[in-house]
Amino acid sequence: MGRSERRGAGGRGTAHFGFRAVRPEDKASMVRAVFDGVATRYDLMNDLMSGGVHRLWKAAMIDRLGPRPGMHLIDVAGGTGDIAFRFLDRVGGARPPARVTVCDASSAMLEVGRGRAVDRGLLRGIAWVAADAASLPVADMSVDAYTIAFGLRNVTDIAAVLAEARRALKPGGRFLCLEFSRVGAPLLGRLYDWYSFAVVPALGEVVAGDRQAYLYLVESIRRFPSQDALAGMIAAAGLERVKYRNLSAGVVAIHSAWRI
Amino acid sequence: MTEQKTGVDPKLLEILVCPLTKGPLKYDPEAQELISEQAGLAYPIRDGIPIMLVDEARPLDKDRPPPSRGGGAGP
Repeated sequence: MGRSERRGAGGRGTAHFGFRAVRPEDKASMVRAVFDGVATRYDLMNDLMSGGVHRLWKAAMIDRLGPRPGMHLIDVAGGTGDIAFRFLDRVGGARPPARVTVCDASSAMLEVGRGRAVDRGLLRGIAWVAADAASLPVADMSVDAYTIAFGLRNVTDIAAVLAEARRALKPGGRFLCLEFSRVGAPLLGRLYDWYSFAVVPALGEVVAGDRQAYLYLVESIRRFPSQDALAGMIAAAGLERVKYRNLSAGVVAIHSAWRI
Repeated sequence: MTEQKTGVDPKLLEILVCPLTKGPLKYDPEAQELISEQAGLAYPIRDGIPIMLVDEARPLDKDRPPPSRGGGAGP
C-alpha cells in the first residue's frame, strides 16, 4: 500500500526533489510536471545524454527477464514504451500471447508511448495506464513480471513502491529494476560528475528547453541509494534472491529479485 | 474487431482494480469512467487511457468526502 501517501499528511519529514527538500505530498506532482514537460523530447534526450548506451542497458534488462510466451509484464514508469517494445519484440506473436501493461504517472509520457506503438504497428498485447507506482491498479498476485527502468529514483517512497511490486507479483514472479547507481572507479567518477552537472543540464536546456528538469535528473541520481543499499531495501520489501549487476562501471545497475 | 478511438481495451478492463481499495471497477462507457463503489471514486478514461490516479478521480458522492490518502487528520 502507498504508505508514503498515508503518512504524508501530517507534515512528517521531507522528501527530496533532486537536492531540494520538499514536502512528501508535493513530490509526486513535481515529478509528474517534469515528465509532462519533457515527454516529447524524452527519447531524444536519452540518446544524446547516454550516447545511445541506454538502449544497451534496456536490452540487458530484457535479457535478464527472459520474456516467455504467455507472460504478463507490468512495466512501471514505462511511459514512452522502451521496455514494453523490447519485451514484445522478443515474444510478440508467440502463443499463448505475452502482454505488457505500461504504467506511468505522467499521461503525457503515455501518449508519446502509445503514439510510438501505433507507428510500430504494435496494437495488440500492450496497454497504457496512468498510475502511481505506490498504488498500482492491479490485483494481488496478478502479474508474472515487474520491471521499472529509470523510475524508482523518482518515487516519493521507495519502500512503498517495492512493497507494491511484491503485492502485484505472482509467487514465482520476477522483479527487475534498472536505475542509475554509483560509479566505483574514482577517476571515472569525477569525469561522470563533471559530465552530469556541466553537460547534461546544458543539453536539457538546448534540446528539451528545460534546464531545471535535467538538473533534477542528475541531482536525483546522486541522491539515489547505492547498489547495496537498494538491494537491502528490496529484500526488506519481502522479495527474495536479490542480486545486482553493474553496467558501464556502475553508472547503472540492474537489480533482480523474485517473489517466492 | 471494431475498436473505437475512445474505447478501452476489454482485456485491460479485466485486469484493472481500484488502486486505493484493490476492489472491482465498473466500466461506464457513456461517461468513459471506471467506477469504484468501495472508494466512492470515478476514474476518468481520457483518449482511451485509464487515469487510475486518486487525485484525478471524481468523488461519486459530493456529500461524502473523498477517501483521504493521508488517513485523515491523524498526527
